[in-house]
Amino acid sequence: MAQRMSKAQQQYQRKLKDAVHLLFFTHHKLPGVRGWELRKELGSDWQNVLEVLDKQLQPLDLQVTQVLDDPDIIDPTNAQLQDARYYITMRGTVTQKTAKTIGWRIDDIAGLAVSVAYIISKQGKSPRQDVERVLEEKLPGWRVKINIDRYINQGYLGEDEQGILFLDWRSRAEIDSKKLVDLVVSYGKREQESA
Amino acid sequence: MSELESVIGLCRMVQSGKIEPFDIDFDYVMSVIQKHYPDIKNPRDFCMDAEALKELSLVLERQNQWIEHKSTTLYKDPFMLSQSLMALDIGAIADIFLRSWHPLVEMEQMSAATLAASLSYWGDLVPFAERWQDSEVEERETGIATRDEARQLGYLPEEGFTDIIEAFWRELGERVGPGGSIEYWDWIGADTYEQTVYRAYLTVFMVGYGYANATWNRMMDEYTIIHKETPEPNPEEAKISLSVLVDYEEWKLWRNE
Repeated sequence: MAQRMSKAQQQYQRKLKDAVHLLFFTHHKLPGVRGWELRKELGSDWQNVLEVLDKQLQPLDLQVTQVLDDPDIIDPTNAQLQDARYYITMRGTVTQKTAKTIGWRIDDIAGLAVSVAYIISKQGKSPRQDVERVLEEKLPGWRVKINIDRYINQGYLGEDEQGILFLDWRSRAEIDSKKLVDLVVSYGKREQESA
Repeated sequence: MSELESVIGLCRMVQSGKIEPFDIDFDYVMSVIQKHYPDIKNPRDFCMDAEALKELSLVLERQNQWIEHKSTTLYKDPFMLSQSLMALDIGAIADIFLRSWHPLVEMEQMSAATLAASLSYWGDLVPFAERWQDSEVEERETGIATRDEARQLGYLPEEGFTDIIEAFWRELGERVGPGGSIEYWDWIGADTYEQTVYRAYLTVFMVGYGYANATWNRMMDEYTIIHKETPEPNPEEAKISLSVLVDYEEWKLWRNE
């Protein structure tokens, strides 16, 4: 019995290792792995494996993040979970100092924050010119265009043929939209009260 | 531009996010559509009327989504949000963003196995000098050939493309029976790679034109081709798009099996 338990544990450990390889290393053009790919590699208990992995990553300040194709789904079905993308993201947040060391200028971060918050306020899509106009209030015009292109290349924003910007896969994976909007509004209220 | 066209343009501005869904006065747009309805004289007018109704219904859909969005915890008044954003200095905005940002972790690593495979690839790679040898071009007199001569030379197929597809569909029916199915590789696979590519190419059109169906099993990562007892051919409008999947290595594996 003890040997059988140990075999089961070994098998689970192997699955955890496979999950780490799948989630940490880049396999496709875009990072992350689809649920059905995880199921194919890890077996039918893939969701339990992810749960255990998420717990094991906690002390390292990392987490397994699930991003559904439709962000409005609250209670996903099994099929929707298999279509979802899974990523490893930081559990906590980064400081300005750390952000600089990973190649982000403070202007770039602020520009991304404003673009994302503005697009959220417009129900998820907005003409590029409108976003540019908002950014141009505080950033030089030449920089605004470069920055928006950069956010698009990195997958934070998407742009359709009509020049409409929307939040793309990386924003949905990395940004806690609700927290961002709440923080912006509460900061604005505090400013008003203190004025 | 007619009044109806202006109304369609206005409704489309909602879809592209240029104006808010509730900036459209539903009753006004409906009254314009109703006003023009008795004047419809030809199919073009009918299409315009239908287009206006379709665009208006999409506006209603956006209005519904807007209400749903407003009822979520994510909703904040856009004006208030943009005012708050404008009031913040760049440092504060960046700070706020960093508190809601959880960057992705991704790694790229070279393993010994990858290096070994790459070395073997390098060994098999034909040098540029051999690959890009100048082709010997010979000047030829131009001439005229009849359609029959072009067919004999193999530049034009013996039969029409639809005939080829139909013969292919009949072959599928004979092989799997009416409404039967077959695994993709078992269907396209042939003794030579060229013949396999040709069969895969025809399969794309057979499926696209409505002579057969294709289903993809995600778990097994494989396609199945299903014969249609009653084909619904319409080459003008391909119904399903199927990529040509004929990897040379996969073909070699299939043949060895």
